[in-house]
Amino acid sequence: MKSKKHIINLVLGMSFATALFVVGCSSTENAAVAKSGAELWGENCVRCHNAPSPTAFGDIQWETIGQHMRIRANLTAVQTDKVVEFLKMAN
Amino acid sequence: MNKLLKVYLLLLTMFFISGTLFAQNEEDFDKEDPVEDLAKEVNTLKPGLSRFLMRGYAHAGIEFLKDNTTFVGGSFNPIFLWQQSKRLLFESELELELTQDGTELGLEYADMSYFINKYLTVRMGKFLLPYGTFGEKLHPRWINRLPSNPLGFTHEGQVGPMSDLGVEIRGAVYVTRNAWINYSLYVVNGPKLNDGVDEPEEGGQLHYNNYVDNNKAKSIGGRIGILPLYNSSLEIGLSGQFGKVGTSKTAYEDIGSQLYAIDLSYVTRLDFMKSMLDIKGQWNRVSVDQASYSDPENAGQNYTFENVSNAYYAQLSIKTAFVDNDFFNKLEFVGRYSKLELPSKAVWGGEDTQITVGINYWLDWRTVIKFAYQTLDSSGADDGHSSLTQGDAFLIHWSIGF
Repeated sequence: MKSKKHIINLVLGMSFATALFVVGCSSTENAAVAKSGAELWGENCVRCHNAPSPTAFGDIQWETIGQHMRIRANLTAVQTDKVVEFLKMAN
Repeated sequence: MNKLLKVYLLLLTMFFISGTLFAQNEEDFDKEDPVEDLAKEVNTLKPGLSRFLMRGYAHAGIEFLKDNTTFVGGSFNPIFLWQQSKRLLFESELELELTQDGTELGLEYADMSYFINKYLTVRMGKFLLPYGTFGEKLHPRWINRLPSNPLGFTHEGQVGPMSDLGVEIRGAVYVTRNAWINYSLYVVNGPKLNDGVDEPEEGGQLHYNNYVDNNKAKSIGGRIGILPLYNSSLEIGLSGQFGKVGTSKTAYEDIGSQLYAIDLSYVTRLDFMKSMLDIKGQWNRVSVDQASYSDPENAGQNYTFENVSNAYYAQLSIKTAFVDNDFFNKLEFVGRYSKLELPSKAVWGGEDTQITVGINYWLDWRTVIKFAYQTLDSSGADDGHSSLTQGDAFLIHWSIGF
């Protein structure tokens, strides 16, 4: 019971601290906003695998893959949207 | 009468002519609006918000091992992505694998995610843990640059977990104009301590496939990744996971574990070599509180040891992607040093060192044929302490992502 309480407190505390940290530290004038989708595609995909060919999938498929990769690669929302837009435009 | 007949025939002729003209006009009207026809046809093809996509990967190959030469693979990992809306995604991966006993089906992950806002996503289910990067991002066969995993980074998790059941929040944000971080925080069942009652030779080991938890305590973990450079080429990650691992109402119920990992990734273009350089590394450290276990070598007696395990690897690959030659620009040269250190005083303890060098030939961006030679230097066991090692070996694998 005691350990349960500790865990809940710890999780809530860490979540709150993370939220505060994120909101406090977020920079709206950042490189992702300044960069093109093509640049972000070239920089972020290659961290794990070769940069995908835009023609490998269709527009609708890229949107679903974008959601999947935003989670898997832990990308920002702006990075994901720009990369997906680039892939849809270039395919 | 004759006059009346003529008038009747005239009216009849006019009726038919006007009818024909009217019909023609209708046809002309239909023909004259192709845009509307097209719009109707396009509407029938309009996708809804629910979208389903199957992706995945597979591999096959041949391995020249110390005692035998065998074709391997035939494994197939379908990934199912179900996009329910702009905010909701379900993802799952299965693994179908041939084993000595037949075809084995495994559930790699199955989780649902909800994008709360641009900074936070919550997911729940069985998910790949952000404990370092190898398990979560680099292990798929078409992504892993070598045919084998580093020592200790096994599918079931030998030193550190690969996946677990629980709930997680994650996201990413720019903290300065150039630098950004990604973060995750999770609560999971956590590993289970093998107390050695049923398997004395495994007393003190952690088992990570703890799908029905053996206690009420949950493990808490997380990872923070820092990408300080403008081009996001460098990422340094710190991970931790903590929780009790002993089974409730046993002498081990208060035994806890502390798991740490540091990972590094550096990917950049080397213009002078017309190549891409990719450096990866990860160090896992698993520590379990000290306890006594049945001594399998002295029946009826207990023994204890410092229960700390380490597994780490460093990998470097150079892909000559920008060379102006259709053969050489598909080549990649890889080298990896990997070490596994298990508690020296445990009956299952010992050290393994593995060195692997390889050449890859990329058929396209997600299909590769890998040739690798690896050596194993092991203390305490002929074939090493990892289920993945079988002495020196030459491996050829063909992997495809789709």
